[in-house]
Amino acid sequence: MKPVITFALMTLRNLLRRRTIWGICIVILIALFGIGQIPSYGVSNEGRFILDFGLFGLEIGALLLAIGLASNIYPRDREQKTVMPIIAVPLSRGQYLMGRFIGAAIVEAAAMIVGCIGLMVILLMNGHAVPADMFPATLLLLIEGWFLLAVVFFFSFWTSPPLNAPLTVLLFIVSQLSVSGFIKLFPQAPGLMRALRLLLPHMDVFHIKDPIAHGMNIPGLYFLLAIFYGLAYMAFMLSVALVVFRSRDLK
Amino acid sequence: MGDCPLQVKELEKSFKKKLGLSSFRAVDSISFQLYPGEILGFLGPNGAGKTTTIKCVLGLLKPSAGKVSLWGSHPAAPEVRRRIGYVPENPDYDDLFTPLEFMTMFSSMRRLDMSREQMFVILDRVGLSKWENVRIRSFSKGMKQRVSLALALQSKPELLIMDEPTGGLDPVARKEFRDIILEENQRGVSIFLSSHLLSEVETICDRAVILSEGKKVVEGRLEDLMRTEDHYRITYRVSDEQEELEIHAALLQKTIDDLRVKGYGIISVNPLYRSLEEVFLSATSGVGR
Repeated sequence: MKPVITFALMTLRNLLRRRTIWGICIVILIALFGIGQIPSYGVSNEGRFILDFGLFGLEIGALLLAIGLASNIYPRDREQKTVMPIIAVPLSRGQYLMGRFIGAAIVEAAAMIVGCIGLMVILLMNGHAVPADMFPATLLLLIEGWFLLAVVFFFSFWTSPPLNAPLTVLLFIVSQLSVSGFIKLFPQAPGLMRALRLLLPHMDVFHIKDPIAHGMNIPGLYFLLAIFYGLAYMAFMLSVALVVFRSRDLK
Repeated sequence: MGDCPLQVKELEKSFKKKLGLSSFRAVDSISFQLYPGEILGFLGPNGAGKTTTIKCVLGLLKPSAGKVSLWGSHPAAPEVRRRIGYVPENPDYDDLFTPLEFMTMFSSMRRLDMSREQMFVILDRVGLSKWENVRIRSFSKGMKQRVSLALALQSKPELLIMDEPTGGLDPVARKEFRDIILEENQRGVSIFLSSHLLSEVETICDRAVILSEGKKVVEGRLEDLMRTEDHYRITYRVSDEQEELEIHAALLQKTIDDLRVKGYGIISVNPLYRSLEEVFLSATSGVGR
């Protein structure tokens, strides 16, 4: 485990020293600042709006972060040939993937924590209470972000970065659809579409901003199951990514 | 063959061309081995398959056929990888780190217990003592080669695999690299050296393998490869002066007899040696991709 942790820390330092991550963080902060302006428009239920838009901003932020952080890591390593001496000697391909993933996951987590704190500050500054469920809701968005990271890594082993981003966004959108919505995409084969929908991830389970904004109680078991589902699917995606990576020649 | 640091047997590597309709054979059934403690030169023109072979040896490419083994084990085996140092061609490390940071991270990834002082010693040995805390971004190609050599030496490897290690170096640095290679070899390290610099190979290698169009065309001890079978040099004495004569093997005995009849004293009869460049050119002549 020590080689993986060292490599993860190396990845973390690398990402922090590159400017991309800071650009994404600035976008998230600007978005939060924009949400903080909602009260000036005299919207009724402004607390609900701030929470709703804030969590939506974090959700989109998680997606952008995943793409921004991970889509270029492996292609850059491969293009600059930095992957060769690492994989040739100290690390196996599995350790390389895990190190890179954990490093990016730490950055994603840090950014989500900053975003959550920012949202909390905006709520408090506008005189609204912070609902306790906001923290588990952010945790679910973080799990979704990690899952998206795994997806981006998977795509990066067999596509180029310009293709990686639209494929990830497409999966993100498709995985929000309900079974009936999915069947509507191709109504001629409802059975096939239903089966496909079952296989594809259900990211809607991570989105609980509406019930929280409306003050509904989310059972603790739901959170646990959603976390388990997200982590299990993430592990599955990483395993598939590793299978693809292992089959690749490093020319 | 468990003691043999490197054994390559009937190695083949093909790459699919665009659309996957046809393939290109980069390495075509080559076999050779590296014996313990020797320096093996790996030569060939551009596109001969040297780097492809090295990548198969390191497990970066999967052979299409044949077998590569390091001390009798698969190249990907962790216990084998710990015994290797690798100096890649054109190393382009993550330029946001410094050599010292790289040394620290690589030693941790290799589970080595190295102090900073030990790292400084290695960095000093490769000529980076004043650059240890400077980001690699500002380094020249030659300096990046030094970083890569430092990382390769870090684990005190038993086998050094070097792919054009002195390509970007000036003559002084090249000599320093050569000295380090020889020092490591004296320590018992086996060295697999791919190089375009024939003079370098001629100076330090024990044996050489020459590839051409993916095939092995020559393998042998340098002395044997460079010795011509058909020409000899006779050194003889005329009065007080020493003279030399180069003749074909078929005429050797007759010439010696003639010189003796004339009363000239034969000092020595030696086979003629070609330069490695001549060996290389004759082995790869007429080759062009």
